[in-house]
Amino acid sequence: MQARKVLQSDHVTGWALAFPAVFLIVIFGIVPIIWSAILSFQRTNLIAPPVWVGLENYRALPKDPLFKTSVAHSIVYTVLFVPVSVAGGLFTAVALNRKIRGVRFYRTAVFVPVVVSTIATAIMFLWLFDPNFGLANWLLGKVGLGPYGFFDSVNGALYSIVGMTVWGWIGFDVIIYLAALQGIPQELVEAAEIDGAGKWGLFRSVTVPLLGPATLFLVVWSTINALQLFDEVYFLTHGGPGTATYVVVFYLYNLAFSQGIAGYAAAMAYVLFAAILALTVVQLLIGKRTVYYAS
Amino acid sequence: MTDRPIAATAHEVEHVRKRERRFLFSPWHLVLIPIAIAMLIPLVWMLVTSVQTLNETRQYPPTLVPHSIQWHNYSDVLRLAPFGRWFLNTTIVTVTVVIGNLLFCSLAGYAFARIKFFGREVVFVLVLATLMIPFQVVMIPTFLIVRRLGLIDTLGALIVPNLAGAFGIFLLRQFFRTLPVELEEAARIDGASRIGVLFKIVLPLSGPALATLAVITFLWTWNDFLWPLITIYSPSNYTLQLGLTTFQGAHATITNLLMAANVMSMIPVLLLFFVAQRYFIRGIATTGLKG
Amino acid sequence: MADITFDHVTKAFSGTVFALDDLTLHVPDGEFLILVGPSGCGKTTALRIVAGLERPTMGEVRIGDLSMNGVSPRDRDIAMVFQNYALYPHMTVFRNLAFGLKERRTPKDEIKRRVGEVSAMLGLDELLKRRPAQLSGGQRQRVAMGRALVREPKAFLMDEPLSNLDAKLRVQMRAELKRIHQQLGITTIYVTHDQVEAMTLGERVVVMSAGKAQQIGTPQEVYRKPANLFVAGFIGSPSMNLLRGSVSGGRVVAGDLTIPHGDVGTQDVVVGIRPECFTPSTDGRPTVEFQVDVVEPLGEQVVVHGSVAGSNAQSGAEEFEELPMAVEGSRALVTAVFESAREPSPGDRMRLGVMPERIYLFDAHTGDVIESSGGWASS
Repeated sequence: MQARKVLQSDHVTGWALAFPAVFLIVIFGIVPIIWSAILSFQRTNLIAPPVWVGLENYRALPKDPLFKTSVAHSIVYTVLFVPVSVAGGLFTAVALNRKIRGVRFYRTAVFVPVVVSTIATAIMFLWLFDPNFGLANWLLGKVGLGPYGFFDSVNGALYSIVGMTVWGWIGFDVIIYLAALQGIPQELVEAAEIDGAGKWGLFRSVTVPLLGPATLFLVVWSTINALQLFDEVYFLTHGGPGTATYVVVFYLYNLAFSQGIAGYAAAMAYVLFAAILALTVVQLLIGKRTVYYAS
Repeated sequence: MTDRPIAATAHEVEHVRKRERRFLFSPWHLVLIPIAIAMLIPLVWMLVTSVQTLNETRQYPPTLVPHSIQWHNYSDVLRLAPFGRWFLNTTIVTVTVVIGNLLFCSLAGYAFARIKFFGREVVFVLVLATLMIPFQVVMIPTFLIVRRLGLIDTLGALIVPNLAGAFGIFLLRQFFRTLPVELEEAARIDGASRIGVLFKIVLPLSGPALATLAVITFLWTWNDFLWPLITIYSPSNYTLQLGLTTFQGAHATITNLLMAANVMSMIPVLLLFFVAQRYFIRGIATTGLKG
Repeated sequence: MADITFDHVTKAFSGTVFALDDLTLHVPDGEFLILVGPSGCGKTTALRIVAGLERPTMGEVRIGDLSMNGVSPRDRDIAMVFQNYALYPHMTVFRNLAFGLKERRTPKDEIKRRVGEVSAMLGLDELLKRRPAQLSGGQRQRVAMGRALVREPKAFLMDEPLSNLDAKLRVQMRAELKRIHQQLGITTIYVTHDQVEAMTLGERVVVMSAGKAQQIGTPQEVYRKPANLFVAGFIGSPSMNLLRGSVSGGRVVAGDLTIPHGDVGTQDVVVGIRPECFTPSTDGRPTVEFQVDVVEPLGEQVVVHGSVAGSNAQSGAEEFEELPMAVEGSRALVTAVFESAREPSPGDRMRLGVMPERIYLFDAHTGDVIESSGGWASS
């Protein structure tokens, strides 16, 4: 009787149900987090037994010119990508938030790029931006702009990646903003109209402030994702031309899996993580002061 | 009360209605049409190229309308590379991961939502914490663990670590908590066990949340690149994304075939998108709410 | 300040559903007019058309002689109080009040003055720095009123502004509203589904049903001289009793009730008797045999539900379908109100007297009131 009671107790049942998922997450989530920290204090090529080196990896980072270059590129990419995609998303969502003919078609057109994989997108744009036969240069030529090297040009490669990833992600921002826009009570809009607000006044004083939480979320989310840029760089430019598109994650991938310098790579990953965390906290703090949350 | 004939009324109403309908061509269309074009051009261009001959692709200015449709490009791709194999691999991995997530995250999500067990809060916070860690931090040790398990270069490497994700647990827990707890209490009084309640009462009511999780997991797994890149070496075990990069490496200048390959790799996801658009959108919006 | 005119205003949805059917009505400058009726009667639609939030399918609304067709809400110089208040959640009370003035580029000191005045009038001075989420329901309601007052508009439009308040607060705010109207004298159109509110607040009342105005008049007129069955059944609580009957040979007969009646040949009628017009004292009056079913003591009065011979008629103002009660045979359900000293017991059979001068007769087919009925009304 006693045993049956124990077996039926909530604690056992709860653990039994949660165990498979939690077990998997501990093994493939928690353990790696800790192990990665340990690795960052070691020198290892992932084959021979690792050697303990203390803080050497961390100390080497600021002296590494390639690391500094990657950080610069990651920052440039993020600073371009985030405002463009978030503002563009807002503008597009406002345009799509109307009951006009065919709005479903336009919405679908904007959402579809989000489901296309990074590699498939890259292949599409590789062809679109082909310097010799691509549609892009042809269209640009029609409006009098010179042919561009896109992914082949030292100056333009990173910007081309920005353009391509904005195309791929703006639908995400639009979805979030559309949901938020539709959450604004119709009565508020009507009250503002009656109070005398014109279209712009309404947008500025009512719509944008009430979209604060969505904007904050999108800025944080986009920043986190932008700093983790990898697939496109690996596939399209391999960090090039030269090191023009070398970003942090690409660098650390190479270090760990091509050059066998995994401890250093782990340290770099942790530094990246710390930066992402710090940035997120800063953004959330700014958000707390400026963003109004409906209770 | 008036004595207008009803017919006249209906006619006048129709007239006003027609006046209102013209407003449906609003100036916003001038904004939306260019946006839609910009979004669709890369896809359309890819499609057009995929049915052209190689010479047509080498034209400048580019030919926008193919002279004839080379459907055989698609079968050529299947000959040149083990595309079918890659397709199969990706499907196996994706379907298994989706099912695994649906199952394990339901169990765990329900436990976290409704069952008070020892350490529940602490464990949940731990689970959530894994959501905040960028993949690059854990990828090296995960690789080592998978290697220790002997799964490198097998589909298992892609399946096992992803069978249960924190996202799914979080999503389902939040959803389960919105269901009225009285339903479950009534079932338990009627004699159902906890697991019985989960499978007979809660899950049947959780269709939308489960669909959303399935769709998002499908998308993420089908499109994943970095992890397969790290763990799979033999071409026969490649997923589609990996296979595409190899194909591009080998046949970079055979653009029409490359585009055909690209189209084929997208079809399942696009199909799923059109069928389940609602759930994609809901899934994405939910990530927003969590933020 | 201005008068408001509805000129054959009609609003139709998908061609055949009329939310408003040919409403013609003139609201003189400064009047407090109430639109009352059950949900779906068109009262809110009429209000929103005046506000400019909906466009009439046909007809025209004029504010102070200017046609409002094609004029957007912001250019109409009207203010509206919404049922759910629609306060800007991210702005302080002060900014909520000042918003309309700011958008119209009112100079800063003018804004401060007006907000200060209104805030003092409504007792909002201590709340100016708070946000709507931090206010109670009653406080939010006053801010919503304040936002309208501060604009000093030509007219106020109110959409059931008190219905989300608890009962006591509602009574308090009704008195507030009356006081403010007496002080400022601004034309007001007020929408409610509560006929008690309509009767106590309005200078004139428009009783509406299915998009049409059933009757327009002062509360007293509408109570004492209902124009048709709907108005008779809608106004008054408990509702007027309606019995099927007929007129012939100079008498009105409904069940076992017989009332001498002057002219009128032969026709089917509906006899309307307010609950207060039944009395246990039967001397010299027509009487009915009344079987008591349920007794509700209300202090000074008692409400008695029961039945008499005959059958009920419907007014169209009923909220629910009649609940079948345990009545043998076919009898008509009747409610009577008398003083509590005469309180009967359930199951009693008694004879009730009817005051003949307070009986209404309605044409059984059209529902219109028959002119010579309701002697009280003709006095």
